[in-house]
Amino acid sequence: MRSNSNQYGVLAEFANPADLMDAASAVNKAGYKHFDTYSPFPIHGMDDAMGLKESKLGWIVLIHGIIGLLGGIALQVWSMDIAYPLHISGKPYLNFPAFVPVGFAIVILLSAFGAFFGLFALNKLPRLHNPLFNSDRIAKATDDGFFICIEATDPVYSEEKSTAFLKEAGAIHTEIIPK
Amino acid sequence: MSMDHHHTTLSDRLTFPEDNKIATGFFAAGILGVVLSLIGLFVNTEQFFYSYLTSFTFIASLVLGALFFVMIQHVTRSSWSVVIRRIPETISFQLLWLGLLFVPILFGMEFLYEWTRPERIATDELTQYKQPYLNIPFFVIRNVIYFTVWGFLGYKLYKNSVAMDLSDDPALDKKQRVLSAPGILLFAFTVAFASFDWLMSMDSHWFSTMFGVYYFAMSFQSILAVVIIIVLYLFRKGLLTKTINNAHIHDLGALLFGFTVFYAYIAFSQFLLIYYANIPEETLWYYYRFEGSWIILAYLFLIGRFVLPFVLLLGKKAKTNYKLLMGVSIWIVILQFLEMFWIVMPILHKGAISFHWLDITLLLAFFGISSGLFFRHFGKHSMIPKNDPLLAESLNKH
Repeated sequence: MRSNSNQYGVLAEFANPADLMDAASAVNKAGYKHFDTYSPFPIHGMDDAMGLKESKLGWIVLIHGIIGLLGGIALQVWSMDIAYPLHISGKPYLNFPAFVPVGFAIVILLSAFGAFFGLFALNKLPRLHNPLFNSDRIAKATDDGFFICIEATDPVYSEEKSTAFLKEAGAIHTEIIPK
Repeated sequence: MSMDHHHTTLSDRLTFPEDNKIATGFFAAGILGVVLSLIGLFVNTEQFFYSYLTSFTFIASLVLGALFFVMIQHVTRSSWSVVIRRIPETISFQLLWLGLLFVPILFGMEFLYEWTRPERIATDELTQYKQPYLNIPFFVIRNVIYFTVWGFLGYKLYKNSVAMDLSDDPALDKKQRVLSAPGILLFAFTVAFASFDWLMSMDSHWFSTMFGVYYFAMSFQSILAVVIIIVLYLFRKGLLTKTINNAHIHDLGALLFGFTVFYAYIAFSQFLLIYYANIPEETLWYYYRFEGSWIILAYLFLIGRFVLPFVLLLGKKAKTNYKLLMGVSIWIVILQFLEMFWIVMPILHKGAISFHWLDITLLLAFFGISSGLFFRHFGKHSMIPKNDPLLAESLNKH
């Protein structure tokens, strides 16, 4: 077996979204883990067909939100009660109802940071070049092309077998993408 | 995974089974409630009217929430909600006779509304100042307007929808949007002023410009819970299980979650503004509702109506967990009744929570008859708008 070290993976094009979905399902069932699909628009049910797990993003946002809540309350307790206690219209220093808007705002701020930067990190951004752009056909993925790319890093990957497998799954064109 | 994205046809039975006795059961409970409450009217007249207003505003909030739900779906031309739309449509059809249920309140105004009492008008300067708005004839006229507007919208939206079951006329679909767009505008004003009249004017010195949206926030959160309860009840009876799918349930759950936050935001904002400004004439409303054991209910709403549903419904899987959704929804509807109780009752029973058996019998009367009417009507037509142009899209929802 030849070394795949100079390859990014095998790219296969399919005729329509339904074929792509069937192929993604077949690739998933064949045990491939490192593969992705590319289409001009989101295809409902693709996550299940590819066997993707739930995104971790929700947990990242939740943790940021909790930190924001605790931090926001702590900031106000410290500043309003400990560091600089100030009488405001006869209300107690520890004035929790008044802490809610600031606490809420910091929850939103940190959650938004968590969502934005979390998404950035999960998508491995910033990424200046994607080897997929070595293919001329991939540009069709923004117009009328439906693609699967099985990556060479996948333990089950083999240039010949994976290519043959994708052809059998209905690919109308396949090519090897160099790194 | 198989190609489940191809099914577009209806394979369920579309009519509510005739041998289902739930409507009869509700009617029986309702009539029992009416009889017991009528006894209560003579035993304790003042308590009767306070309990009556509590249950009336509770049922009205659900029925009005349903009307808004239907109109917003038409205005936005949403496809997702088509398969569940007949449920809120049937509920808001009841607006046709909701006005009749308001009539008894007119006979109890001297108990409920201090601004109608002559001795109060004679001695209280602020009540005199508010006379041009807070007087009985204008109160009646306003309520006639509210119920006419709501009755018309609820009736028309329902009738057009069931007419569409039998005809392919696309003009009917357009009519729904033409009705709904101005309908939402009218709804906003009428519901806000109705809540001022029915509930806010009980403390005639008190005012909160947020009170209308507060009533709306409660009502919309509750109606989402009611729709979820009805859908899950149908599922339990094996109905529409292939028509309404988990994606619809998930969206209802997400809306319930979202409007739980909206409710908390509005209810808390109203409190915070008044608490922070600390102006005596504004704080008095909360003073009575936090006095003594009434504060327990206030904390119950904070924890039970916001924190608990927020945490429970936060996860994605929770929104399609039927048992959890059913539990949270029933809980929210119970709290909606208790919040009406908390708004109305501290005027009569100052300083301590006090339940009267009339609270239960009148709730039974209103809830029994309203639910009975719902299921009776629901059985008369298809359970979904089967000719809606967006039905196929709705069935295909993922």
